[in-house]
Amino acid sequence: MLSLVLVVIIVGNVVLRSYQMNQVDLERTQETLTIANVTRMEPAGLSIEVKNTGAVSLHLVAVWVSDSTEHQRYDADVFLNAGESVTYNRTDIALPQGAFLAKVVTERGNIAVFSED
Amino acid sequence: MKKKIFKRFLRDKRAITPVFSHLLLTVVAVAIMSLATSATFVITTNMKETMGERVVVEDVWFNGATGTVNVYLRNVGKADIQISGVYVNHVGQSFNENASRLQVNKQGWLSIACSWEAGKAYYIDIVTNRGTHIADYYKAP
Repeated sequence: MLSLVLVVIIVGNVVLRSYQMNQVDLERTQETLTIANVTRMEPAGLSIEVKNTGAVSLHLVAVWVSDSTEHQRYDADVFLNAGESVTYNRTDIALPQGAFLAKVVTERGNIAVFSED
Repeated sequence: MKKKIFKRFLRDKRAITPVFSHLLLTVVAVAIMSLATSATFVITTNMKETMGERVVVEDVWFNGATGTVNVYLRNVGKADIQISGVYVNHVGQSFNENASRLQVNKQGWLSIACSWEAGKAYYIDIVTNRGTHIADYYKAP
């Protein structure tokens, strides 16, 4: 009897994990964001305008700035509600001269990209 | 000597006592159910971990200075991952083993030792030890 209860608990745990992961995938597909603009700040730094275009709130965890010679990741910690826009300023990030690619990454793993030629 | 004992055992018409038979039945039942529980636990733990694997590729860097392809991975799932193989255009490649283990919510560069040409697209397939594939096409700049 005890074993039967244990087996039911274990199998129930798997069903619960399956439900959790479906929820995670659903939230990830509902999450969309765009980078409206990336500008250079004076005397140093960059400013990124990010818009949450999805139906769920999101958490930005990283900013990437890449060019042909360097790919650099910077940790970030910004929360955006659904439909909210934010201008994220960083004085410690130097934009490269010439063409570059800027990316923001969310906690769920979605990425928005902005390229400047 | 052994043969004698065995013959005596076969000739013995007495059955086992009811107490002993109940005890035997209980032991057998407990053993079988313990086995079933352990098997269920082992199988479902593996299933749970496989279901919980989610990895995203944050960045792919075709590094001209080192001649390698560097892939930045982040574990966004609910289980630790171990990279067991990397394939570029379906050909196995060597990679830095020390950076191949990622705990939950951790990230890091995976350096793939593979030659590449500018302008060409490469199909990079990263496989975990539980069989999850993280694969996509990436074009070298």
